[in-house]
Amino acid sequence: MKEKKGKPGIIFLIMFRTGCFTYGGGWSIFAQLEEEFGEKRGWLSKEELLDIMSLARSFPGIMVINMSVMFGYKVCGVPGALAAAFGLSMPAFIVISMVTCCYEVLMRNQMVARAMTGVRCSIVPIMIMAAARMKNNALGGRITYVFAAASLLLCLFSGMNKLVMILAAGALGMVIWRGKKKPPEEADT
Amino acid sequence: MIFLRLYLSFLKIGFSSFGGMTMIPIINDEVLRYGWMTSAQVMDIVAIAEMTPGSLGINAATFAGMQIAGLAGACCATLGVMTPSLTLCLAAVVCIERLRGSWWLEAALKAIRPVSFGMLLSVVVTMSAVFVDQSHIMWNRVLISVLVLFAMKKWSLSAPKAIVLSVVLGLVMGV
Repeated sequence: MKEKKGKPGIIFLIMFRTGCFTYGGGWSIFAQLEEEFGEKRGWLSKEELLDIMSLARSFPGIMVINMSVMFGYKVCGVPGALAAAFGLSMPAFIVISMVTCCYEVLMRNQMVARAMTGVRCSIVPIMIMAAARMKNNALGGRITYVFAAASLLLCLFSGMNKLVMILAAGALGMVIWRGKKKPPEEADT
Repeated sequence: MIFLRLYLSFLKIGFSSFGGMTMIPIINDEVLRYGWMTSAQVMDIVAIAEMTPGSLGINAATFAGMQIAGLAGACCATLGVMTPSLTLCLAAVVCIERLRGSWWLEAALKAIRPVSFGMLLSVVVTMSAVFVDQSHIMWNRVLISVLVLFAMKKWSLSAPKAIVLSVVLGLVMGV
């Protein structure tokens, strides 16, 4: 029986606020969710956060909604999942509904363009900070460094399908660490 | 009935998308097929999705739905694109929770975590393209990023505040 860590109402509000700042694609949102659910409230461990990220990336559907569904479920079951998914989408929905009538004007506005470029510049620092916080939980023994390096290089220099990468990693992991009942941190490879 | 069609089209778009930008060709196909929008308008959607908060998928669905059939259309399209997540992904996380602690899942995850970490790093690298404009480094932008990074470290700024800071810097400095 899973003990519930947060109510759907709170989840909705957190996700709504996050939804107002979802720029720069999935990863910057992940960084924010990690702040809210991990750092601030300790509802989820860093391992769980990373695991959700991997799954969200691999499954079809909008990555950030996938993430919200999974975060929400882990914190408060199905109501949490729904609260999270709709919470995240609401701001976008509201803004776009209002903007469709005058988007042409907006797109040409100088101030808007500057503000948006500013936003794009913030994505890199946000992700660097998230990576720094996740590092110790993603990486343990030497082999994990190899996995990370391989992943980085494959992403940058090959068009390898991410889902394939994750499945391959999973399979390799099962082979390398097969039958180890001890928690991964203690098994030193 | 237009609403059902919108829902189904965006449901299909949701299922076949594996990452933001990959949705665009599929969205293009669907809206062109039904004559709902032109290619130029699809490009507009992408531009707007850039400017407004929210992921490309949600923004595109809401925008297209709105253009095609008003607010109700926007609702149908958006629900459609969210359905794969609400069904498949939810089912997946329920299963994963049940399997927690089994050695093979933990072993697989031990390998998957660094791979995801590597992916995160690769996105940091590709996002750095914002600093370069036709092989010419835009120092203004680099400066904004450095300042934001510094602020985040020094004053533990959260991401939303970092974004607000970067908007202010962008407006002030001009990029």
